[in-house]
Amino acid sequence: MNNYESHRQEKLAKEHIARKKRFIYQIALWLSIIVGIGLIVGGMIYFVSRQNPALINSSATIESAFASDDWIKGNKDAKTILIEYSDFQCPACAFYYPLLKKISEEFGDNLAIVYRHFPLPNHQGAKPMAYAAEAAGKQGKFWEMHDMIFDNQSKWVAQSQSKIKDIAVEYAKSLELNIEQFEKDFGSKEIEQKVEGHYRDGIKAGINSTPTFFLNGQMLQSPRNYDELRNIIIQAIDENF
Amino acid sequence: MKISKTLIIIFLAASFIGFLDAAYLTIQHYLGVVPPCAITGGCATVLTSAYQKIFGIQVALLGAIYYLALFLLTIAYLTSGRKALIFLAALATPIGFIASLWFVCLQLFVIKAICFYCMISALTSTTLFVVGIMIIINYRKPMLTKTAAQNNITK
Repeated sequence: MNNYESHRQEKLAKEHIARKKRFIYQIALWLSIIVGIGLIVGGMIYFVSRQNPALINSSATIESAFASDDWIKGNKDAKTILIEYSDFQCPACAFYYPLLKKISEEFGDNLAIVYRHFPLPNHQGAKPMAYAAEAAGKQGKFWEMHDMIFDNQSKWVAQSQSKIKDIAVEYAKSLELNIEQFEKDFGSKEIEQKVEGHYRDGIKAGINSTPTFFLNGQMLQSPRNYDELRNIIIQAIDENF
Repeated sequence: MKISKTLIIIFLAASFIGFLDAAYLTIQHYLGVVPPCAITGGCATVLTSAYQKIFGIQVALLGAIYYLALFLLTIAYLTSGRKALIFLAALATPIGFIASLWFVCLQLFVIKAICFYCMISALTSTTLFVVGIMIIINYRKPMLTKTAAQNNITK
């Protein structure tokens, strides 16, 4: 009987230890899972938010000089030239649009900003809007149209291609353009070829997304925010002095 | 009857990949990073569209929570052996599957742009759904064939 009792107690003690071990094991496991997930999420936050160390992609370059029909904002004789390949329908381009405005205001005569077209094939409204901006440019209001298109991007982006032209004409009216001339230029071969030419040059330069920036001919890995863009421009201006 | 280990491992892996994918998009959104528009796809279009939120909550965030919950339930099942946990996870998979189906349709027919990250999520949630159904069948079988008492013994 005594033997049986001690045997039973021994068994209970063993079970107790085993249960304790299991408990510790469980806690250790869940703690390491929580820490592991925390590390993964933390790592991703670091990866997404870190400042880009190599902003310049030296393997992709483009001719830095202006073409005669380029749209230039700022000082045409500036030594620092920022070329943007952009798509009017791209939300990321609309995101950069106010940043570039601010850049242009901040750097004034020290910088020339060039706008070139890169209408992505999956954006049906990008080409018509590029034509609209060019047609407005024929009447000296390229940048005004450019601003209007980006300001209203969310309003026209869901419209069908045929409606987009009507919307462009509305914008032309509000800019007090000659509508007859605007419509003629909008459908002209010359403008179509210009936009197509920009796109082809962009492809040749290795562009695969918009917006893509070239600073003095060298492609930038998309700067993530205003400060990144600003710092790299300051650097380029300093180098040119 | 034990639920096949392979099924559990696929379930675990799919929920983990889904979590990484959704967490990445969530982090990008809340840090204010704007994805560029690529020639090949429309992530920027999709991720900035009006459909990125449900009741004011980021879809990506909901996805991350969903995948993480499935992942943790699977781990809890593996450590405790309680089948109810994996059964619960399997029961939740149709929610993710239907949501993914809805978002794929939105991308194809309404937004008319395809986002790579959203497609990965569609793939993981479909995998989870298929495996989930298999787990449910696996789980129900012993109940149908054995008596409750026998079932208790096997536990």
